[in-house]
Amino acid sequence: MNEKSGWGDYVLYVLGVVVIVILARDINVIARLPNEVQQGAIFKIIFFHVPVAITAMFAAAVALIASVLFLITRSFRYDALAVAVTEVGLAFLAANLVTGSIWGRIIWGQWWAWDARLTSALVCWILYAAYLMLRRAVEEPTQRATFAAVWSIFSFIDVPIVIFSIKWWRTQHPQPVFWGGGSIPHEWFAIAGWNLLAMVLLGTVMTAVRVRQEDAQRELDSLRRTAHAM
Amino acid sequence: MHLQSIPLLFAQIATPDDLVREAARLQRNYEFLSYGLTVAWLILVIYVLFMVSRSRKLKREIASLKAMLEDRQKS
Repeated sequence: MNEKSGWGDYVLYVLGVVVIVILARDINVIARLPNEVQQGAIFKIIFFHVPVAITAMFAAAVALIASVLFLITRSFRYDALAVAVTEVGLAFLAANLVTGSIWGRIIWGQWWAWDARLTSALVCWILYAAYLMLRRAVEEPTQRATFAAVWSIFSFIDVPIVIFSIKWWRTQHPQPVFWGGGSIPHEWFAIAGWNLLAMVLLGTVMTAVRVRQEDAQRELDSLRRTAHAM
Repeated sequence: MHLQSIPLLFAQIATPDDLVREAARLQRNYEFLSYGLTVAWLILVIYVLFMVSRSRKLKREIASLKAMLEDRQKS
């Protein structure tokens, strides 16, 4: 292990510990909060549901930037970042969809509603899952990275639709509670903010690990080519 | 958004039937909250485990290929 990688490991471990500390504190604070009068305890799921959604959308934005930079520079570092952050974002979006569905079962009496917000979020998940499938289907690395970058840019079209769907159409999904004019107590903002920070840091650590795996995969491919040539 | 403590909530309930219904509702709420958080964390934990397994596999394959290439160069 070289010196750079050693420092990288150190930073990742520190970030991981910071995430665990913030989450442990937040779980303790959230457990002590009073129940919301209309919804009861289930409302507390918002402290997870919203931060994972924002993290997933943030991941999609990073994937877009990395994909554009790959098409401009043709550097595989950006391709590695794009695939890493897309995969991580997909996991966060899955967590968002599942928590939303369970919340909806209690409040709406149904697991799923085909309204604009939920449908566009599901389409977003499918588009980014297709991105990963597309990468598996193309063998040649440059072609794979180019196709994937174009697909990632195309997929990002859905992200503003997910975000603004509740403004543009009448949806069963409520209007934003945080940062959208909701009448939530002020101290709850801070808790949601800390949870969001923890999720973004967790996503960053996961992405960094995943980028390293892409580097290792490229090294492996190169070794295979050398072995084949010998 | 209205916040209310559980004792205050019970104090506003009129009949024993209401009390039973409210207790059942709260219980169901807590159950679904725990399901939601468990499933969501499970997704993230499974993904982390998947990444760990992929890292190990990659390291193993790189080490074996390097060893094979060194052997070939020697012979």
